[in-house]
Amino acid sequence: MILADTLDARLPPGSRLVFGELLLTRRHDGLFEARHGDDTAADSGNLECLSSVGELRELAKYDASGGYRPLKTAPTLKGGWRTETESPQEFLARLDAVYPGVFAAWVAYEAGRIDAVPLRRTLDRQTGMYRLAGTIDDAAAARLRAELCGPGCLRRIVWPIDDTSPPAPVEPTTDSIPLLCLEACTFAVSRARELAKEARARAAS
Amino acid sequence: MPVSKPDSALLILGHGSTENPDSSQPCWDHAETIAASGRFASVHCAFWKEEPSFRQIWPMIEEREVYIVPNFISEGYFTREVLPRELELTGPTTVRHDGRVLHYCDPVGIHPSMTGLLTKRALEMLDGSVPPEEISLIIVGHGTGLNQKSAEAIKAQVDALRAGPVPFARVLDAYMEEPPFVADWRRLAETPNVVVVPFFIADGLHSYQDIPVMLGIESEPTEAASQREVFRHNPRHIDGRVLWYSSAIGTDPSLAEVIVDQVAHFDAHHRA
Repeated sequence: MILADTLDARLPPGSRLVFGELLLTRRHDGLFEARHGDDTAADSGNLECLSSVGELRELAKYDASGGYRPLKTAPTLKGGWRTETESPQEFLARLDAVYPGVFAAWVAYEAGRIDAVPLRRTLDRQTGMYRLAGTIDDAAAARLRAELCGPGCLRRIVWPIDDTSPPAPVEPTTDSIPLLCLEACTFAVSRARELAKEARARAAS
Repeated sequence: MPVSKPDSALLILGHGSTENPDSSQPCWDHAETIAASGRFASVHCAFWKEEPSFRQIWPMIEEREVYIVPNFISEGYFTREVLPRELELTGPTTVRHDGRVLHYCDPVGIHPSMTGLLTKRALEMLDGSVPPEEISLIIVGHGTGLNQKSAEAIKAQVDALRAGPVPFARVLDAYMEEPPFVADWRRLAETPNVVVVPFFIADGLHSYQDIPVMLGIESEPTEAASQREVFRHNPRHIDGRVLWYSSAIGTDPSLAEVIVDQVAHFDAHHRA
């Protein structure tokens, strides 16, 4: 219940927060509401009302053209809906259906309970087909961030390339919940593997 | 003894997919069923290829004690190497640096109750037009390649089925990538009637798209998203044979109970 209580405190009655592509609002009577930021000015009656975690998970699964969204923080969340509940615990569960674990990660990071994991540590522990990913050089790592993470994900990268660099600073905000990237995801590891294979092919030719 | 863990969290681990939207659905479905039963303080899912990932899950779980059940079909590379590494597990029970106590249970696929579930799954597809004793049951797995242990898990299930009072004419194992090949089902099964149950966790690429082509149900892999068409038209008449094809065993609602059973199994073997 601690996380739900934190959400309750962060979003007091009469306030609003930006959370990725979502706009979270709390009415004066205590009701929580989330909708797509593009629908900020939309009449509530014109938005489809989603009333369960399952419905929100299904919404977040596909983009507007029906394509699968395996990365939930991709900037492709569909609009045209809203969800509301009185329960902070249920509201958190619905937010987790759209952005799994992102609120909890922010709370834990802000409290100093978790740290960002340097990219090299993530890549170096891979085994099997991903073992090769750990061989990328710093230039390839920078390319990965610029080409894959930058345009494809709304998260703010906190992890440094290696243990010698500090994590990127995250300033506290009062009007938004940041989408932190505390460790490179499966897409980044897969892309690192591709870049490593390309480098190996270049070296062999 | 019924499992009641009002102070513990349950964490279900799945593979997930960056390509197939149906891969993680069974995990979510079983989690919802177990959560509704109220037997755990909270129920969570984490995935290798989807979110929340194994690495992202800890801030979401507020309980001190966590039972971890891999929703995987066999013991192998994932359950012995990838999952312990990503979750930083050191043994059956791990005490984390933050004081949390993690209990790592066996994967669902090796639980003894899976044997009965395979029979149930096969029988409930039949419409009564043919008695089971005139039907061959084929359990299909992946075989070598992605997971060498998957064949062992299936052989164990087939052995267990053959050792018991099974209603079918014969029980056979077949694989996508090693002999006996599922593509040879016409030759493997001697009866004109055949029921095929894929021993997979989800109706992902293999059980929904690849195996139907190998069976001759489809001429080429279909679109992923919807599973309805492949499983709706049982039985099929192919080359003079009658074929029933089930969705993956892992989609059976009874798997929720198997997940809970693995928690009970852990307590009986590691905490008794």
